[in-house]
Amino acid sequence: MPLYILKRFIMMIVTVLIIATLTFVLMRAIPGSPFDEERTSNPTIQANLEKFYKLDQPMPIQYLNYLKSIVTFDYGPSIKKPNESVNTLLARGFPISFELGMATIIVAVISGIILGTFAALRHNGIIDYGAMTFAVVGISIPNFVLATLLIQQVAVNWHLLPPATWSSPKHMILPIIALATGPTAIIARLTRASMLEVLTQDYIKMARAKGLSPFRIVARHALRNALMPVVTIMGTMLAGILTGTFVIEKIFAIPGMGKYFVESINNRDYPVIMGSTVFYSAFLVFMLFLVDIVYGFLDPRIKLHKKEGEV
Amino acid sequence: MKKWIKFVLFTALLVVLAACTANEEAGKKPEAETGGKDSKDNKPAEEKVLYLNNGEEPTSFDPSVGFNAVSWSALNNLMEGLTRLSEDHLAEEASAEKIDVSEDGLTYTFTIRDGAKWSNGDPLTANDFLFAWQHMLDPETASPAAFLAYFIEGAEDYNTGEGTVEDIGIEAPDEKTFVVKLTAPNEAFLNIITNPSFFPINEKVATDNPKWFTEADSFVSNGPFKLASWDHDVKFVFEKNENYWDADKVKLDKVNWEMVSDSTTAYQMYQSDELDSTDVPSEIAEDLKDNPEVKLEDQAGLYFFRFNTSMEPFTNKKIRRAFGEAVNQEDIVEFVTKNGEKPAHGFVSYGFIGPDGKEFRESAGDLVSFNPEEAKKLLEEGMKEEGYTELPKVTLTYSTSDSHQKIAVALQSMFKENLGVDIELQNVEAGVFLADQKEFKYQFSRSSFLHDYADPVNALESFISDSSMNRTTWSNPDYDKLIEAVKNETDENKRWTLLQQADTMLMDEMPVIPLYYYNQSTLEKPGVTGILRHPVGYLDLKYADKE
Repeated sequence: MPLYILKRFIMMIVTVLIIATLTFVLMRAIPGSPFDEERTSNPTIQANLEKFYKLDQPMPIQYLNYLKSIVTFDYGPSIKKPNESVNTLLARGFPISFELGMATIIVAVISGIILGTFAALRHNGIIDYGAMTFAVVGISIPNFVLATLLIQQVAVNWHLLPPATWSSPKHMILPIIALATGPTAIIARLTRASMLEVLTQDYIKMARAKGLSPFRIVARHALRNALMPVVTIMGTMLAGILTGTFVIEKIFAIPGMGKYFVESINNRDYPVIMGSTVFYSAFLVFMLFLVDIVYGFLDPRIKLHKKEGEV
Repeated sequence: MKKWIKFVLFTALLVVLAACTANEEAGKKPEAETGGKDSKDNKPAEEKVLYLNNGEEPTSFDPSVGFNAVSWSALNNLMEGLTRLSEDHLAEEASAEKIDVSEDGLTYTFTIRDGAKWSNGDPLTANDFLFAWQHMLDPETASPAAFLAYFIEGAEDYNTGEGTVEDIGIEAPDEKTFVVKLTAPNEAFLNIITNPSFFPINEKVATDNPKWFTEADSFVSNGPFKLASWDHDVKFVFEKNENYWDADKVKLDKVNWEMVSDSTTAYQMYQSDELDSTDVPSEIAEDLKDNPEVKLEDQAGLYFFRFNTSMEPFTNKKIRRAFGEAVNQEDIVEFVTKNGEKPAHGFVSYGFIGPDGKEFRESAGDLVSFNPEEAKKLLEEGMKEEGYTELPKVTLTYSTSDSHQKIAVALQSMFKENLGVDIELQNVEAGVFLADQKEFKYQFSRSSFLHDYADPVNALESFISDSSMNRTTWSNPDYDKLIEAVKNETDENKRWTLLQQADTMLMDEMPVIPLYYYNQSTLEKPGVTGILRHPVGYLDLKYADKE
């Protein structure tokens, strides 16, 4: 097992390095430069700026500088926000995205599992249809549409909650609802499907025959096995949501890190592109790594299989 | 097995939580900000707080570096240069009490106002200006604004690394006197220095702490307001600066700036009274047309299209002109943009009053207007001149955006209807578009211009042969001479005539088709008064008030 974890860990680092190199190549392959703007394009000033950001050096040297910045976790100043280093931007934005993401995941997991379980228990009943209608609607409505609708109804028309910004717990309710609806729906559907399958298993019949209470059967025996698919998608879902979501953060004016992914590319802000991509990919790969390990513990079959592979 | 699962889930949770709290501010943040928001309700009744939206984090509060509207809106109210724009958009004395101009128009002597002070109590001196302007021109600063100062003696040489700082034609012979020497007389000089890049920097503060402008604690200002707090990427707050020389005129106690980049969200915040003013989102401009809270003001600059005069068929002047006259500018603003813009019939926009007291635009007249018959005739003549039996394929390129697309589609149908020409449309990502346009890769492409300073020559000089703003390959020695003459003319009336000639020549040669002049359409709550929005310039809250 430790050897397997070590192998996975090395693979993880190699993956991040490959992603980083590809990012560098792609980033420099797109035409345009951070200083291409409609109004100012004085060549001398551009030359001064390029010198300042070391963009006048030959490409291989820039690549070496870039690799160095990955290893030292120091991406230098942003080009579009010259007062700020990329590290500051990420250190400021990530906790906020993380806060929003964590709350979203918790809401989505709890409500998704509850909804899915009840739908499965009342298979083909009203609750099932209700829950699955919600799930289909939740998956189909893009979160930015939901977000705008929520702001217009709840904040502007009913004055129940503030429309935007991230300044108090009250401000967090609408973005969390907007962001959690999609994942809730996905989790609810997954839970329902695997729950239906598990409920027909022999050991559930056995538990019933033993005279266990229905709650105990569902909570302790059925649910645990039904959650495997949910764990599978949690890795990517976590990384995606925790590192910020551009659209929701923009609509609710949340100062998270989602915007850096999109804006840095539009602005050709090379240091920020590098910083955010490496950060995101490292985070994603790490989450997948965690999920792999959790699998091993959750399902003995996977662990056994991997062990055989090692020996 | 059961225990294993619990253990694993629990460890995973711990790891996640540890990662969370490792970021020192993660836990504190909401509380700190709750306080800020609640204070809105608890504030004493008499305090006047204006709630505005800056859209995003200001690029920089270093006056030499923050060269864009998100920085200027704040800087122009925190600091003050030698001159400031009046309500009539004219440059008038501000930090300078007296301005003497030598007879040849080359030397300006500014006397700094007695009692002009920094927010920390330091007196404002001529040295602060000297320091700031040298900082802007220092090649190390890499200031995007430096080119604005190139009409000062020695400035360009120093900025391009060829001269020394001592050779710049600026000096401070004593604490209160600041002298500037220009390379040529310049009517627009006093206007140009209203730009925040010409604001002073407190030399003492900046020498002690070169990063003085990055946080509210260390920021010192000499304008109507001071920076009370700055929560990066979230908001910043102004307080009235009691040390400002004209503090009696400043009526607001505080200005609270949010950073909401989505214009629809900002509008929704405006609707729920969290903002006192916001931009009109373009998608709903039409619905708000009759709303009394909407204010329309001119903005000097325009939306236009560039021909590449080295690519067929636009090598021919008559064909360019034919395309120009096939465009119905009135229809574009009425049915496509629908935001109350003025149609453009010349390159220089509204908002420039000549020595005769008349609008430049009115005196210059309509230099290109919709005329389908004439357009058809010109196209035929042009094709004959070039020996075309069929017009070479025309492709119009624009940067990807809904609004540009709508306009491009409208133009496509106008050319079809009025010239019988089928053009192709092509959209390209904005960054790629700008880079390719500068390399003259497009035959016919979308563009825009916003003034750097309030003088028609700023717009017209874009099309001299060696201007980096030209991007059409169009080059005309007569036009170059005309612009040169404008720059050296000291007689205001003659200069104004030359400017009109230049606009006429540009439209006659038509390397560009003007479409419409920009405007600033904003919503303002009833009771808010005195916010100045200049055609060229920076939001001014000095006289702003709120009931």
